[in-house]
Amino acid sequence: MEGLWMTNPVKQGLRHLVRHETLWTAPLVYLLFGSLVRWAVALHPYSGQNTPPQYGDYEAQRHWMELTINLPTKDWYTHDLTWWGLDYPPLTAFHSRLCGSIGSMIDSSWFELYSSRGLESMGSKLFMRSAVFVSEMIIYIPAVLVFCQVQYGSKDIFQKHIGAILIIMQPALLLIDHGHFQFNSVMLGLTLWAINAFLTGYYVWGAIFFCLSLGFKQMALYYSPAVFAYLLAQCFKNKQGLILFCKLGITVLVTFGILFSPWLGSLDSILQVIHRVFPVARGLFEDKVASVWCTLNIFIKIRQLLSLEAAVKMSLVATLLAVVPVSIQLYLRPSPYRFLYALVNSSLAFFLLSFQVHEKSILLPALPVTLLVLEDPVAVRLFINTAMFSMFPLLKREGLEIPYVATTLLWNYLLGDYPKSTLSTLRNTINVVYAGFIGWHFIDLTVAPPEKLPDLFVVLNAAMSFTGLGLVTPLGVGVNHAWQNLLKSQCGIVSLSNTPGFESLPVRIGACVPQGPKEQGQFTASEWLDKGDDRVMAKFTQFAIAAARQALEDAEWKPNDESEKERTVRVILFFFFIIISIMKCKIVN
Amino acid sequence: MESLLIVGTLVKLLLIPAYRSTDFEVHRNWLAITHSLPISQWYTEHTSEWTLDYPPLFAWFEKLLSMFAILADPAMLVVENLNYASPQTIFFQRATVIVSELILYWALKRYVKYFGSKYVHWILAGALFLHPGILIVDHMHFQYNGFLYGILVLSIVEAKRNNLLESGILFAILLNFKHIYLYMAPAYFVYLLQAYCFVPVESNREGPNGQRKFSVGRLITLGSAVVGVFTISMGPFIYMGQLPNLVGRLFPFTRGLCHAYWAPNFWALYAALDRILIFAAKALGWPLNEAALGSMTRGYVGDTQFAVLPPVQAIHTMLITVIVQLIVLQVLWRKPTFDNFLSSLTLCTFASYLFGWHVHEKAIMLVLVPLGLMAANSKTHLRIFIILSSTGIFSLFPLLFEPTETPIKVSVTLLWLITVVPGLARCLARPLKSILTYAEMYYIIGIIGVQIYTDIGHNLIFGSKTLQFLPLMLTSVYCAVGIIYGWGLFMREFLAGRM
Repeated sequence: MEGLWMTNPVKQGLRHLVRHETLWTAPLVYLLFGSLVRWAVALHPYSGQNTPPQYGDYEAQRHWMELTINLPTKDWYTHDLTWWGLDYPPLTAFHSRLCGSIGSMIDSSWFELYSSRGLESMGSKLFMRSAVFVSEMIIYIPAVLVFCQVQYGSKDIFQKHIGAILIIMQPALLLIDHGHFQFNSVMLGLTLWAINAFLTGYYVWGAIFFCLSLGFKQMALYYSPAVFAYLLAQCFKNKQGLILFCKLGITVLVTFGILFSPWLGSLDSILQVIHRVFPVARGLFEDKVASVWCTLNIFIKIRQLLSLEAAVKMSLVATLLAVVPVSIQLYLRPSPYRFLYALVNSSLAFFLLSFQVHEKSILLPALPVTLLVLEDPVAVRLFINTAMFSMFPLLKREGLEIPYVATTLLWNYLLGDYPKSTLSTLRNTINVVYAGFIGWHFIDLTVAPPEKLPDLFVVLNAAMSFTGLGLVTPLGVGVNHAWQNLLKSQCGIVSLSNTPGFESLPVRIGACVPQGPKEQGQFTASEWLDKGDDRVMAKFTQFAIAAARQALEDAEWKPNDESEKERTVRVILFFFFIIISIMKCKIVN
Repeated sequence: MESLLIVGTLVKLLLIPAYRSTDFEVHRNWLAITHSLPISQWYTEHTSEWTLDYPPLFAWFEKLLSMFAILADPAMLVVENLNYASPQTIFFQRATVIVSELILYWALKRYVKYFGSKYVHWILAGALFLHPGILIVDHMHFQYNGFLYGILVLSIVEAKRNNLLESGILFAILLNFKHIYLYMAPAYFVYLLQAYCFVPVESNREGPNGQRKFSVGRLITLGSAVVGVFTISMGPFIYMGQLPNLVGRLFPFTRGLCHAYWAPNFWALYAALDRILIFAAKALGWPLNEAALGSMTRGYVGDTQFAVLPPVQAIHTMLITVIVQLIVLQVLWRKPTFDNFLSSLTLCTFASYLFGWHVHEKAIMLVLVPLGLMAANSKTHLRIFIILSSTGIFSLFPLLFEPTETPIKVSVTLLWLITVVPGLARCLARPLKSILTYAEMYYIIGIIGVQIYTDIGHNLIFGSKTLQFLPLMLTSVYCAVGIIYGWGLFMREFLAGRM
């Protein structure tokens, strides 16, 4: 198992505990340590602290508690929408109501209708922070422990503990929930419960949890293609499948029915909920959407070529292209590992290519990625670090620089050194990326940006996160080639019937990376790798390195539209993960 | 150990925005004084109410820090900038605490090296380095104690290695950093006199009853070394005629018996008994000191008055302290072994803490640090260590009185206990449950109850306006019981020759 590496400090600590027969303290130690770090992060400012008139996400969450305890359910989705109108599904509302009523018991002024708007007292801050902490402790943390027990419990004694520590201390979720202030751990925790249930064969329970997760934040839809494919496979590949299919269908209907029951009375109110939750229905031309597309346009340089609507269609095609093959593969050959990789693939594809991407949506792919931390430590580390780096401008704006540095370093330290088996080329490539990150931080800290370009560093940050961009796809190698082929409506999927080496696969079609010289958008190992490396590396590693090389070449990219720069931060392509998740499913297995 | 340094430092960084007491401003002011004024005015300057009241070496330490402070934010070095706290200032001062603690880290590495390098020593070293008391007092409340504990540990390690001269010099340096270490000076005095200034008559090994004679040469060596340290430290001030100012700053005898929050020592129990007797006195018609009725509970620094019990003068506290210390020291005088030295060192400090005049609750750390070094010597040591540590750490909680830090101090204390105690018990090959008696265990669990009461229960029962003093008083008295019990146990075992 590659995930076990000798220099990991967590493992060394655990070994001491084993030698002195005190391993039973390990879970308590990391739970308490996790709590300590969470509360220490919670000392720092939250989103929108001291910034009237609108404040930030913290006020949104507080306002929903105020809203839900003081108004009847029918008004929740219609009341004064200009002041942080509720735009999450009903379970968020119910959860807010629960927190709000407990809070009002302690101090009724915290959630007084209207008069509590923008309230920022020390007591209410502590209460809100506790609400996040307790929700996470009840839902997310037990799910993590169960996952580690299910996945690693039967292996050696260390694995489940190492896994649990690394998942619990993952900095992105920690900072967004306990620093920035959100309840993502509830949604992710419910999803993780669903994953646990699916992995252990409790499909109905899994379906309930997944529906609850969707009912908490609609963003859980990012996972749905993988979940759907996996469940469908269970239904149609087993003898009792049809019964399971019916059971699942009823479960989903009933769960959603209960969640939405207060609004089922009239068509108008249910439509209002849906309009609030899926703002895309309000029209494609809102600022937010447009600017995301402008950003993508910068990246992909098709802005001059296509109208907005065409670009949206293009994105749908791209998302489907990224999601569908893996989902089909998962359906045909379901296995727990493939399920996890498929979750990564679908959430990442949605994050990258769908519209209405929330700033912090990177947390969605980050969950399944983090779950794979013991399988692919190098890639997971690159992913999480890039995710953290890409969020830095946001965190900096909120005054969270110190926890950003501390939690990222802490997690990297806990993760330990590279496994010995890591190839030197891969290691060097990744180190170049990290050196870039560190260099950027150094410049950001010491050099004041030129007056004419105040956003220069933010843009550079995006550009460097964008070093993660590189495409080695069935459509062609290289960003330009891939997109040009896509524009020419070429299909990357070919018949495998006549291709040697794939006879044993049940699939008769596949998507092959074209072999050939770089200038024609094709792949030749020798052009990207050091001599001899192509023989010792798996194909997907070769692709990853090729993508990294392209990314570095591509980093010279210079954006020129000031207004779009902020948005670019959000859209980051994590080439390693796309490649690895797709390839693991397609080639290795 | 490296991993503790890395992880610990990162956690300490996260604590930068935590609550800061006025000690933060105290130290900023000292930075400003030592940076911008000539030496002759260091102990006379009084723009701020937080005048420089530590010995000269600490002032020099502040001067050293101020050289770097100027790079972070020069405005913090202006004496008139009272309560100045820019983000750079906060970061700089917090960072200096973290960096100066490297001395403690280095000292603990030496401790491990010379005490046996076993797993148990690693645990103890880690336990001291990331002690919740240090996190609470230094990294949140704000003080520079970590590196001073470091010097203390270095001195004890030298004593263990039988380099008594070096040990004495280090202690003299320590005294010139912070004079509260006078608490342990008697033990040093006796031990150095007995073990260093007396040399065995025959050959080089001294038996338990070996003949020994007094060596004047050694006394002069030791004496001149200590005097030398004091000269370097105090010399410039004596030369400039600042000595009276300096002494007046170091020993302000105008403060009251108890601090605003009663340090959980003997006088806390005394004062609490007085409060209780008021009710009895009212019922029985005893004479009352009316002026005292409202004084304690509001509790500002000032004279403490008792309503029923006889008043306590500074001289009384001094007498009791000296008597208790003498009881301890006569044992050390007769058997000057290193183990006895370490125990008497702890007990001397303890005596000053329990019976001293105007003792601050932070002083319990001076007991816990040397105690921590020997916690795993025997089951009794461990038992006393557990009782005193949990009580002592809890007694520091009121330093961070704002609710925001409550989860942090609670989780860090629990984390510390769960990492340290089972490991130590295992190293002594004792089942965890056998170490404490049931009463002791329930007492420690009771701490949780007191904490819940002070945080939530009190407001629920009485509301936030009435009996405001009660939670603090309860904490203080509850801790005092445990601390005095632990001390009694320690004394009994020590006098019986078992420690």
